[in-house]
Amino acid sequence: MFSKLAARNVRRSFKDYSIYFITLVFGVCVFYTFNALEGQSVLRYLSQSQHYIVEGILMLMDVFSVFVSVILAAVILYANTFMMKRRKKELGTYFLLGLPTGKVSALLFLETLLIGILALVVGVVVGVFFSFGLSALSGSLFRVSVDFLKLSFSFKAMGKTVLYFGIMFLLVMIFNGVSVAKCKLIDLIQAERRNEDMKEQSVGKSVVMFLLGVALIVIAYAMLLIRGIFAIDALFLVMLGLGTVGTLLFFRSLSGFVLRVCRGNKGFYYKGLNMFTLRQFNSKIHTTYLSMTAICLMLLLAIGITACSVGLNNTINAMTDEPFDFQIVNYDADKNAVDMAAALKEKGFDTDGELSECLQYTYYYPDEATEEKTGASAVISLSEYNAIMEMMGRPAVTLEDTEPFRDEGALGDVVRIGYVVMRDEQVAALSVRRQVLVGNYAGDIEETEALLMNALENGAVSNDGTFYCHTKLSTYLDLLGSKVLVIFLGLYLGFIFLLASAAVLALQQLSQAADNAKRYAILARLGAEEKLRDRSVFVQVALAFFVPLVLAIVHAIVGMTSANAVIAEVGKLDAAASGAVTAAFLVVIYGAYFIATCLGCKRVARGK
Amino acid sequence: MDILKVQDLKKTYGGKGASTVALKGVSFNVEEGEFVGIMGASGSGKTTLLSCIATIDRPTSGSIVIDGGEVTALRPKQLTAFRREKLGFIFQDCNLLDTLTAFENIALALSIRGDHAGNVERKVKETAVLLGIEGCLQKFPYQLSGGQQQRVAAARAIVTNPALILADEPTGALDSKSAGMLLECMEELNEQQGATILMVTHDAFTASWCHRILFLRDGEVYGTLRREGRSRRAFFKDVMAVVAELGGGNSDVL
Repeated sequence: MFSKLAARNVRRSFKDYSIYFITLVFGVCVFYTFNALEGQSVLRYLSQSQHYIVEGILMLMDVFSVFVSVILAAVILYANTFMMKRRKKELGTYFLLGLPTGKVSALLFLETLLIGILALVVGVVVGVFFSFGLSALSGSLFRVSVDFLKLSFSFKAMGKTVLYFGIMFLLVMIFNGVSVAKCKLIDLIQAERRNEDMKEQSVGKSVVMFLLGVALIVIAYAMLLIRGIFAIDALFLVMLGLGTVGTLLFFRSLSGFVLRVCRGNKGFYYKGLNMFTLRQFNSKIHTTYLSMTAICLMLLLAIGITACSVGLNNTINAMTDEPFDFQIVNYDADKNAVDMAAALKEKGFDTDGELSECLQYTYYYPDEATEEKTGASAVISLSEYNAIMEMMGRPAVTLEDTEPFRDEGALGDVVRIGYVVMRDEQVAALSVRRQVLVGNYAGDIEETEALLMNALENGAVSNDGTFYCHTKLSTYLDLLGSKVLVIFLGLYLGFIFLLASAAVLALQQLSQAADNAKRYAILARLGAEEKLRDRSVFVQVALAFFVPLVLAIVHAIVGMTSANAVIAEVGKLDAAASGAVTAAFLVVIYGAYFIATCLGCKRVARGK
Repeated sequence: MDILKVQDLKKTYGGKGASTVALKGVSFNVEEGEFVGIMGASGSGKTTLLSCIATIDRPTSGSIVIDGGEVTALRPKQLTAFRREKLGFIFQDCNLLDTLTAFENIALALSIRGDHAGNVERKVKETAVLLGIEGCLQKFPYQLSGGQQQRVAAARAIVTNPALILADEPTGALDSKSAGMLLECMEELNEQQGATILMVTHDAFTASWCHRILFLRDGEVYGTLRREGRSRRAFFKDVMAVVAELGGGNSDVL
């Protein structure tokens, strides 16, 4: 009987509190996905080469998962409080029927357990599919082939998800138990009587506040655009403060301001339910402007983090502009000059078969006269210089006279040294300073590089730090690794912030809808058609969802413009890709919550 | 001319086996400009009757003709329009929207009807003067007394100039002084504006303001009492006598 009641309550919850369930499922799904990252194609690609960053990424995900679970716990507790509020009368009835406090607590405990298990199962299943999606997205971003078959189920991630959410549900249970033990029957029975006073703030005041808010936001924007986003000092904090206060004032006064403007237009104000809708919007603002501001800033974070992390990543596709697949530098050449190609061959690396091109060249110490004249600290012979140029696909140079030729940085190797080019016969007399072996692989880059590394480790060149091997692939992997880290972390946090703000908004709207049910009943009696009432509900929910979103998007655009101005020197945030991903995120999550809220509010408004 | 014609109205709640008959064939007419009361104890069917006339509930059988139109045959969408055009409501819990000012509450009835925006303010002000609430139009319901709230509700009911005003225990939540003021207003509306009012009440004092009272008992019309120019005090005594008779010796009728 007892568990039957709990099961029936849960079944009913699905319809009434779909938002709660959606939030739980989304939370579990995201948590699972980002804790099962090691299955991602990009990470598997990185770990194939045993790149050190893989461990770093997984560790950071662990750390941030704690942070994320704190946010999720806050949202779940908020949602739970909302549910409890709506169930006050039901709980009151249990007490009235003589059910002891312990039993009611146990009932709620059982319900939470049931909902929790269901949400975990559904969330993990959705999470597995979500992992496929993320794998495809990141794979295409980084041009890594995606092998869906290898994307297996992660028991480790599931265990962790169950543990973390188990703790959250336990918190919810404790919270419920305490609130049940504390509540008085009279409060539960009279829960429906509310006594909210409708203070109308003076319209003049709200106009002044609105203009002040907009002015503060504009000042903050100007500071941001002029000073740049990375000038972090006292003024930066002032700018943040101005922006926040401006946003707060904006939301505090917006409805009053809109009301004032609309009242001026009688044709609009006295049309259909417009008057009612505007008043509804205005009446709630006293209690919601703080949360609206918080939600707006949270959305800003979500949009900013997502857009920046995706935008920063697009430059990876150009690979790197390093000219050679690998370079080995002998820093000790003045004492110990070697034929590096021969040494490699000796240790089993077939330089003729594995490499399409291979060249060893030498930097010499300049003679005193040259050094004084040019300030160069190394000299390279013309024939070797031209050979390198040919390998890089550039035109050869000729030296007409004995003047040294200066061509800084054209060689593109890792020996960062000021050099000049001199005729071969002039160089012959100079002593060796550095030796460099550069080459390009003939076959598969990863396989060949593995062979090369093997030869090096087997002692092809001495291992005491005098030789340095640098490969294009390692640079690429470094870059890829850090970008993978940025994008996964960005998507993770962006997703959670978006989820949190959408869930809070949705719950707020639904709890207000309960108050509104009576008002809609009055409207129905006055002869307002259902279509008209539904539209009023829709407009109210839309205002609550999209006013903070629009302001957050404007904030984000200004912020990214400012960031772009700084980053422009290095590269550009890819507006198209980051915009598309961010928009997709918003549409899916925010859209899902918006639709669910609209449907829920409509159902409440229709009194069903 | 008859504004309201109710013919052999029956209403049964529940399905087979466990059904309750709320109305067992009620018939009566209300003429234009009449102020009619319906009295009866709890369970006599008066609320069901009003709900059916208000088109909120559907009768099982019988006919209701309001202003020449048969309402039992209307579809839900037509019903909404019908309510909007022909009926005005005053309820016990005055049902004002707490987020709107008194002015806006009255204006909303016009907005929903799709009245031209230019006429709204003029009409609301005229009606407010009629009910003596022009001083508190800019206040919110919570700032008004119960009597003022009910008069605002009355203003909202008549501002659309409906064929029939339906009042369901309009004085139920008011103290006797406020109730008197509200009833005076309704009487004035009836006499000066020619408004047709059908009021349901179980209170003899409230009922004594009517021209004619229909008594319901167990879903049937038990009798009719006409005022016919008598003073209210005298009429009140007659009403009390019928109420006592209706109760059949039960002292808890009131």
